[in-house]
Amino acid sequence: MNKYNVSDILRRFSVPIMFVLICVICAPISGLSPSYLANEIVTRMGRNAFLILSLLIPIMAGMGLNFSMTLGAMAGEIGLILVCDWQIIGIPGMILAMIISIPISALLGLFCGKVLNMAKGREMITSYIISFFINGIYQLVVLYLMGPVIPIKHSTIKLPRGYGVRNTVSLLSMRQKLDNLIPLSIAGVKIPVATFIIVFLLCLVIVWFRKTKLGQDMRAVGQDMEVAKDAGINVERTRIISMVLSTVFAGVGMIIYLQNMGNIATYSSHSQIGMFCIAALLVGGASVDKASIGNVFLGIVLFHTMFIVAPKAGTVITGDSMIGEYFRVFVSYAVITVALVMYETNKRKNKSKAGEQLALDQEAANE
Amino acid sequence: MNKANKKTWIYRFAALAAVLLVAAAMFIIGRGHTVYFDNKMPENASGNIEVPYSIEVFVNGEKVAKLKDGDRGMAETMGQNFKMELLVTKEKGGKTSKIEVGMSLPYNMDGIILNLPAMLAGMDESQYLTEFIPTPSSEDTEDEEVVTDDTEGLMDFGE
Repeated sequence: MNKYNVSDILRRFSVPIMFVLICVICAPISGLSPSYLANEIVTRMGRNAFLILSLLIPIMAGMGLNFSMTLGAMAGEIGLILVCDWQIIGIPGMILAMIISIPISALLGLFCGKVLNMAKGREMITSYIISFFINGIYQLVVLYLMGPVIPIKHSTIKLPRGYGVRNTVSLLSMRQKLDNLIPLSIAGVKIPVATFIIVFLLCLVIVWFRKTKLGQDMRAVGQDMEVAKDAGINVERTRIISMVLSTVFAGVGMIIYLQNMGNIATYSSHSQIGMFCIAALLVGGASVDKASIGNVFLGIVLFHTMFIVAPKAGTVITGDSMIGEYFRVFVSYAVITVALVMYETNKRKNKSKAGEQLALDQEAANE
Repeated sequence: MNKANKKTWIYRFAALAAVLLVAAAMFIIGRGHTVYFDNKMPENASGNIEVPYSIEVFVNGEKVAKLKDGDRGMAETMGQNFKMELLVTKEKGGKTSKIEVGMSLPYNMDGIILNLPAMLAGMDESQYLTEFIPTPSSEDTEDEEVVTDDTEGLMDFGE
């Protein structure tokens, strides 16, 4: 049976298998204790899961990997910067930052969705470039408008020249407040229960959403836009909604991510986040047109295990920690490249198979 | 506007109002303050004020400061309602008395200095509560180069 063809399975799961091998080889070499590794992985799961889950909805709508999730991340950062300046701390600060980020994310998602509707079939590269474009506007707002136009009071946030925000904004007043809200430790592994509850709720929302009319429409649009259009689905509106939802979730996810980190790198936090989240999702076995909640969690475990052990293993093997650093960054980009190449290859293969089948059918009909 | 449409708009406005209410509540309950406790004679002191030998300050059951004569302690707090417990020892080797204090903190002040001897002497709030205005450190005033490009320097191939 084709379904159980070993070579097909190997090809489909080549990336997760490769990562399992990397982790299995590097983990003992790194010399890190299992409890340290478990602690780090659990922390990173709480930190990243919400962000990566935000990528699932555009994939469902056939828009591929949402590189413009950084738009939501920027909105989340703006919310946090304002909340820090207003001195709203702890969980209330996080909630307020989320409330501020939602309308900004929604507007950016709307804009992105409209642009992507004009670039059907080239969504990924378009969303990637949009993220650069909006990054420019973000810099304009944060670097020049914050201070003179948007009031920023505190000198710890504002640049000494009187306008613009510093390279780093401290989130000490809300650092790990959500993670430590319900304290639990099992065998020395600290579990961020409250964060996991929020992630679990988002998983439930995604599962429920797939069963709704809108969710079904998105899947139909993702499978074939023309057929969906003929079936009476408003394709463009459905695609825009998927982008808005993804961007809003990314904004909220970024706030959860940064509360765990404890500071904002104002001009760079968001720029790498999209790349690493997409890489983690792909490592979990997702593809450009198919991803599940399981892929998210498997991806986080494998990708972040590699992230933790690679520098240490690099130091042990070569004596230079930078080798491991280069390796993990190189692997992140390589995974995305491999996934994109595999997607295109499979698409062409399926297309030529369909063409061959059509030719055979026509031949049979002529005979 | 038909009935279904009207209902939809009512739900939307209700949701928006609920979100705005939550935001307003967060503004109030989430306001952070740094409270500084001084155990020293207040400047421009008027009346009979005694500085105790030591004061231990507990906030939310946690000991945040032990202040000898002339010391300053601090605690981070959230919201406007502030409660603390003071263990006051008037003289060395003397008896310790426990005092519970509850007060409302002014919203507009980030840092608040409480002069404990003045407060214990029952003086007016304006005499024991003042705003803490931080002096910017040399680090704060030092010019900071903003790095907006992750790849800055990587594309520099020299002359």
